[in-house]
Amino acid sequence: MAFDIHYDTKWEGDAVEIYVLVKQVPDPEAIVKVKSDTELDIENKYFTSFFDEIGIEAGLQLKAKFGGKVTVLTVDNRRVDALRRGISMGADEAIQIADPALGGSDPFTTARLIASYLKDKPLDLILAGRQAMDDDAGIVGPAVAELLGLPHVNAVVELNIEDPKKEAKVTREVEGGKEVLSCALPALFTCQKGLNIPRIPQVMNVMKAMKAQIKKIDLAALGLSAGEVGPSSAKVKIQKYLPPPKRPPVKVIKEDFPDNVKTLVKLLKEEAKVI
Amino acid sequence: MNPQSAFRNPKSKEERSMSNEIWVFAEQQDGKVRKVAFELLSACAEFSKKTGQEVAAILLGSGLQEAVKSLTPFADKIYCVEDPTLASYTSDTYLTNMAPVVRECQPSMLLGGATSTGKDLFPRLAMHLQSGYAPDCTGLTIGENGCLVAKRPLFGGKIFAEVAFSEANPQMATVRNNTFLVNSSLSKAAKIVSFAAKTDPSPKKKIIGLEKASGARLDITEADIVVAAGRGIKGPQHFKLMEDLAEVLSASVGTTRAVVDEGWRDVKDQIGKSGKNISAKLYMAFGISGAIHHVLGIGTCKTVVAVDTDPNALIFNYADYAIVGDLFQIVPALTEELKRVLAADK
Repeated sequence: MAFDIHYDTKWEGDAVEIYVLVKQVPDPEAIVKVKSDTELDIENKYFTSFFDEIGIEAGLQLKAKFGGKVTVLTVDNRRVDALRRGISMGADEAIQIADPALGGSDPFTTARLIASYLKDKPLDLILAGRQAMDDDAGIVGPAVAELLGLPHVNAVVELNIEDPKKEAKVTREVEGGKEVLSCALPALFTCQKGLNIPRIPQVMNVMKAMKAQIKKIDLAALGLSAGEVGPSSAKVKIQKYLPPPKRPPVKVIKEDFPDNVKTLVKLLKEEAKVI
Repeated sequence: MNPQSAFRNPKSKEERSMSNEIWVFAEQQDGKVRKVAFELLSACAEFSKKTGQEVAAILLGSGLQEAVKSLTPFADKIYCVEDPTLASYTSDTYLTNMAPVVRECQPSMLLGGATSTGKDLFPRLAMHLQSGYAPDCTGLTIGENGCLVAKRPLFGGKIFAEVAFSEANPQMATVRNNTFLVNSSLSKAAKIVSFAAKTDPSPKKKIIGLEKASGARLDITEADIVVAAGRGIKGPQHFKLMEDLAEVLSASVGTTRAVVDEGWRDVKDQIGKSGKNISAKLYMAFGISGAIHHVLGIGTCKTVVAVDTDPNALIFNYADYAIVGDLFQIVPALTEELKRVLAADK
C-alpha cells in the first residue's frame, strides 16, 4: 500500500495542501442514447473519470513526498462515488458541493462554486482531469484557476516539484512535441494520460471508503444565492441532442490480393477523392 | 423571469444588438499561422454573407510579418499584438493581451482551433470575459438572426449537441481541424490594427524547454491523413511498415490504447476516448479491432479504411472501405501501389 508508507523526505517545510477536482461519469462502455431533444437515456454504468483518477494519483504521490493532505472535491447532487474512489485510493478528505438549485448549471457555474469554496482555503496545488469524460469540455479546471487568480497548465504529462511552496516543473503536450514550463505555486494543473498510472485501491480500503464521512456544502455555505446558479446563470445551453452522424454502409473489397489493394487505391482516388 | 429568456433564439427574427465583427484567433507557431485558423476564417467569410459583419483575425506573437501576409486575403482586419514576450504561448501573457482588445472591440464571435493552445486559452478567457464557450466543436452554423449555433460531440462522440449561447458577447468556440475547408480564392485586403503589448514584469509561468517530437510528422489531430495500427501489428518494431506508408501519403501515424498500454508507442499518438479525437480526411486502420474506446475518436473522419484479418471485427462497422486481410501483406503492397499511382500524378 504505497500511500501508507512515509517516505524518507528532506522536506521540512509546512505541510502541503492539495485539492483534486473529481467527477463520476458514465463509463465509456455505457450506452447513451437520445431520448428527446433535451433528454438523454444513460445506462446506469458509472466510473470515476479516468483523467481525474490520474489527478488523484498525482496528489497522493506528492503527499507521499512532502506530507500534508489530499482533499477530493466534487460538484454533484447525486453521485459521490468519485469521492469514495478518492478516499479508497488514499485521499484524506472528501467535499461534496450539492444543492437542489444547481440543476441545469453550466461548467462556468460549477467553476464558480468550486472557487467560492476554495477562495479562503490555504492551498498549494489544485489538480483536475484534462476533461471530464461526459461533456468532454475541459472548462472547469482553467475557469477555477481564473477565478482564483492562479496560473494553470493544461494536459500535464510530467510534474516535478522540489519545493511545494515555490514552483513546479511541468511538461504539457503541444502539437509536434512537448513543452516544459516552470510554474509558480500555488497553481492548477489538469492531468493527461501518461502522467502516472492510477493505483487500484485495496478491497479493505474500498470498504472503509464506503463509510467515510463526506462533508456536504450547500449554496448558503458558499455565500451564493439560487439566482446565481442553475439555468439562469448559464452562458451556454444545449438546445438539442442529436445521435452521431451515420456513415454510409461499408464497401467490402472482396477481390484477392493484390487486386484488392489496387482497387482500394482506385476508390480512394476516384470515388472518395482523398488522395 | 423565465430563465431561458436570456438565450439567443436562433429561430426568432427578433432584432438583437450585434457587433459588426466576427473574430478568429489566428494561432501561430514560430510565426506560421495554423491551418485551422484559415479554415475558420473561410467559414467566417461565409457567415458574413448572412450577417453582414466584417471578419477579423486576432494575432499575437513576435516577428509576425509572414503571418500577417498569409492572413491578409482571409480577413477584413487583423488585430495585432506584437512583442518578444508573446513569442511563445502561455495562457497568462495571451490572456493579459487578448482580453482588453476583445473588450474594446466587442466582436460578437471569437473562434479558435481546438488545439492544445486553443483548449488551454479559451476556457480561461471565456471565464474572464464572462462569455459562453463551446469547446471542441465539429460544426458551426448561423441562426436566422445572426447568432451562433455550435455542434459538439459529448460522451466521446456517442451523442452530439447543438449549443446556443447567452446574450454575452463574444460567443466563443474552439473547432476541430478539418471541420471547414480553406477557401483559397478569398481576396480580401486586411487592414492592420496594432495594439501595444502589456507585459508582466514577474510572470508566473516560464517556458524552459521544448522537446520536439522526432520526425517531421504533424500531430495526428492536425494531419489530413492518419494511418494507424493496433495490436495486430504484433510489436513496436513493425511500426516501420506504418512509417513507410505514412511517408508516401505525407500522413501521420496513430495507434490504439492497447498499443500505448503495451509501451510500443507514445501516448501522443493514441486515438480514442482516453487519447485524441481526430478529424482526418482519410483515416486508415490496420489490425485494429474497433473497440468503442477507439472508434469514438474517429467519428468525424471523412473517409475511413479498415484492414483486419477478422471478418467480424467491429471496426468494419465504422469504415467506408474494408479489406479482410493481413496487414503484413496489405501494407507493403499498398505503400508500393500508392508510390506508383502518386508518382504517375506528378
